[in-house]
Amino acid sequence: MMSKLIAQKEGVEYLLMGNEAISRGALEAGVSVACGYPGTPSSEIIESLCRVAKEGNLYVEWSANEKVSMEVAAAASFAGMRSLCTMKQNGVHVASDFLLHLAASGIRGGMILVFCEDPGALSSVNEVESRYFAPMIEIPLLEPANFQEAKDMTRWAFELSEEIKNIVMVRSVTRLSHGSGNVIFGKLPNTKRQAEFRCDGPILDPDTGLVFSAPVVYKHQLQQEKIKRAEEIFERSPFNTYEGPEKPGVLLITSSICYLYCREAISLLGVEDRVGVLKFGATWPLPPSFLKRHLSLTDKILMVEEVRPFLEERVKILAAGMAPEMGIKTFYGKETGHFPSVGELNPDLVVSALGKIMGINSYVGMPADYEKKAQALASTKTPQRDLTFCPGCPHRASFWLIHNALQMDGRRGFVCGDIGCYSMAILSPAGGFGVMKTLHSMGSGTGIAGGFGKFGQFGMEQPVLTVCGDSTFYHAVIPALINAVHHRANMILIVLDNGGTAMTGFQSHPGLTVNAMGEEAPAVDIARICEAIGVKVEIRDPFDLEETRETINRLLEDEEGVRVLILRQICGLSPEKKAAKRYEVRIDEALCLGENCGCNRLCTRIFRCPGINWDRQKKKARIDEVICAGCGVCSSICPAGAIKREEAA
Amino acid sequence: MEDGGMGQRELQREVIDTHLCTGCGACVGLCPYQTSYHDRIILLHPCDIKVGRCYMFCPRTPTNLETMRKSLCEEKDLTPEIGAVKGFYLTRATDEQIRKDAQHGGSVTTLMTLALREGIIDTAIIAEGKENFLHRGVAVNDPAEVKKRGKSKFIVSPTVAEFNRAAKGEAKKIGVVATPCQVLALAKMRLKPVPVDEGNIDKLKLVIGLFCGWALSWRGFMELLRKKTGLDAVVGMDIPPRRHTLEVYTKDGTIEFSMEEVNSCIREACHYCFDTTAEFADISVGSARLPGRWEETRIWNQVIVRTQRGDDLVQLARAGGLLEFREAPGEALDELKKSAMEKKRTALKSIAARSGSSPDLLYLDRFDPVVRMLQG
Repeated sequence: MMSKLIAQKEGVEYLLMGNEAISRGALEAGVSVACGYPGTPSSEIIESLCRVAKEGNLYVEWSANEKVSMEVAAAASFAGMRSLCTMKQNGVHVASDFLLHLAASGIRGGMILVFCEDPGALSSVNEVESRYFAPMIEIPLLEPANFQEAKDMTRWAFELSEEIKNIVMVRSVTRLSHGSGNVIFGKLPNTKRQAEFRCDGPILDPDTGLVFSAPVVYKHQLQQEKIKRAEEIFERSPFNTYEGPEKPGVLLITSSICYLYCREAISLLGVEDRVGVLKFGATWPLPPSFLKRHLSLTDKILMVEEVRPFLEERVKILAAGMAPEMGIKTFYGKETGHFPSVGELNPDLVVSALGKIMGINSYVGMPADYEKKAQALASTKTPQRDLTFCPGCPHRASFWLIHNALQMDGRRGFVCGDIGCYSMAILSPAGGFGVMKTLHSMGSGTGIAGGFGKFGQFGMEQPVLTVCGDSTFYHAVIPALINAVHHRANMILIVLDNGGTAMTGFQSHPGLTVNAMGEEAPAVDIARICEAIGVKVEIRDPFDLEETRETINRLLEDEEGVRVLILRQICGLSPEKKAAKRYEVRIDEALCLGENCGCNRLCTRIFRCPGINWDRQKKKARIDEVICAGCGVCSSICPAGAIKREEAA
Repeated sequence: MEDGGMGQRELQREVIDTHLCTGCGACVGLCPYQTSYHDRIILLHPCDIKVGRCYMFCPRTPTNLETMRKSLCEEKDLTPEIGAVKGFYLTRATDEQIRKDAQHGGSVTTLMTLALREGIIDTAIIAEGKENFLHRGVAVNDPAEVKKRGKSKFIVSPTVAEFNRAAKGEAKKIGVVATPCQVLALAKMRLKPVPVDEGNIDKLKLVIGLFCGWALSWRGFMELLRKKTGLDAVVGMDIPPRRHTLEVYTKDGTIEFSMEEVNSCIREACHYCFDTTAEFADISVGSARLPGRWEETRIWNQVIVRTQRGDDLVQLARAGGLLEFREAPGEALDELKKSAMEKKRTALKSIAARSGSSPDLLYLDRFDPVVRMLQG
């Protein structure tokens, strides 16, 4: 079935996920090349473009990391085509060195960076605000506020990019990327541009010269002129809007998904005739005249945005300059404590802040302690459910083995964590058994372990381990591994190779034989990379519990340099497995020792695979056949031999 | 003990954390929560059972030795210094090959082999030396397999763990060769302190105890050895009496370690040990140590027969001509008692130093008659 994303149905309304709306916007803009690195909440943009790559004559790739994805997309722009790169909020930081230089060199074909942020860190280990890159690197920033805008602004961002010959940032957030709404389609272009890199003209010619950031001062000047030009364009942008009375008592200034919260709050309070909403879609550089016109409407302004006071700061700076003419305004926002500068906002928070300013108590939203009370209530009525590894997850077996090996080794060894499903191991006892002690950015587990591994001279005797996933290995582990090898760090890298970028939904990576577009691709072998670096590599199956545990202990005893162990077992949810069970697993209740000395519920109290339940009435373990993935590992850990497994038919 | 707990938590607090753990393996193999690695007992995961066999069987949790003496020995045989003595002999294997493969006189090998052959036991649990001094208990059924494993080990093997494992299986009559701490653990198990015993301890039909002054800690000793020789070059070790050295025999000759060097590697738990002769065994065996006659006597064993079934086996060996006997001079038994008492005295001091107060004797009972005699 043809994807609706390439339907030639101009003017027809479709229900799209925010990320799909962004993809459609790029398609309507005639994008040729799209690259990204998977990361929630951004992944569906590239995924949906992969599905239409063939029909849409696109080149789409899941790159090894965000920086590389931006470089590939930039090459497309240099060749005159329109290109898109996508990533989650911290991906921008990975790509930022290149982004800095790209912004200085300028681009040719329209190029946009879509970054999807995660306020509240629903699927992240940070809630960083990458909007600040726009002023820092001096490039324009757009923030769609609804699903239609997600498409329309993406499409328009390409035009803006070509107009000012620079990259444009488009920001989404989880609630927009992963929400769905109606989107009216525009026209899809019929033709694709020819790729050609023109580089024989005068050196400084933006269309035919060299593409680089020098002469720096000259290019910097040029870049600032581009920003000035963007500012002028933003003065007339249809994405910056005002709705409300001519003389509002309070003006809300907002952007992104908070615009919807503002509208809802005004409606809940019934103050449509007294409150106006100034919504910015083009948020950096802020257009001063447009801003001034609306600031002049009132004296009280409430800044509504998530996490950091990005707009608030810029608006206040501009307002300070306008004060001699416009008069002094009162601003409410994060600095006055009307909103938190961490976590997500919601309509109730806007109601509460607005109500406070206006002295309205008529609407009582969710009380502040609602969440706490709800959690307290839930904990008494529902079974405890931690974040945990899925049934059949190889990581549970891997961490079980690492934990046991470290306990046996007895020198207080620890694991430096990295980014992937296995990050959950830091949340003991939900499957990591308490071994993971640090967790930062992708690849940094190996970098940190390489540091710890050098501290023997200062008396450090603890064995140092780190883990990374297969995708993470390609992303950022390799340089850290090379560094550790070269400096003879004493450390063990355990690659938890589950055959895909599992956490974000099985996107392809360089270790696989198929690329993002479903084409055959040469797999880059992790073991051979390690061997080429000069590291001894062993490969084990984490489901072979005893042999693998012995291997880890042997590696721990071997205190020379970097050791790499690849624990290879496909993810329990991998589409390749097609949900097939390897074993049928059942409990022999006559053998199950339950709470008695000799077992004390090892499977449900310590191992805690969600596929095994504790039957409180019978006081026996029970396999949940629906949940059980049939890996059979529990059968190997049961001390009584009560968990029986048979090869599934 | 909080809330009267006698489980893994208390085991950790009273035995593991205080370095009292002997590594005997009594708490291993009963459940998935403890295991042994090298010469150490490892608590893998927390267990919150209030009264656990791990704690109840441990030779370093509180033990009423007097009850044990009265239950397991005949009162008329009891001595304060070395427990029950039904008979005291100097013996050695008649079979020269057994002597050659053994540490001293080959008496233990001879007795275990005989017990297997006569069907007194069907399974023998003995320590097996492995590469890098990583020993373990093994269960063997073939007498020839016993003969291969005759040497002293110097580093603890979690032999009781192997008993726990074997007792769950097909074995019906088990004999164990064990160090004093292991013998104490087995004795505690025989008193059935917990109802969930599954009757496995009743399979224990013979315990041959080994005299033991101390064991070495694996990690410390490996580091010491590596300084002077390759680990795979070592073919044997011994401690000649009164010479204050540990002799390590290698393919290229003997290397001597001074007792100062060796002392630093002694397992801490051994300093708190109250028993050098395995007082609750059926038979206890050690090297013969006659003053000034080491070279001559090192190929003989001192044997203490403690129980009726021990005596039956020794007499069977004598009748069959498998053991040679030699008259034990009276001074040999006196010497043994003296040195056993000396060790007990030192242990009490070390225990009081560890607990920080002399009435607190950790696993020992200060009202025990032997303890009172020493402290009196």
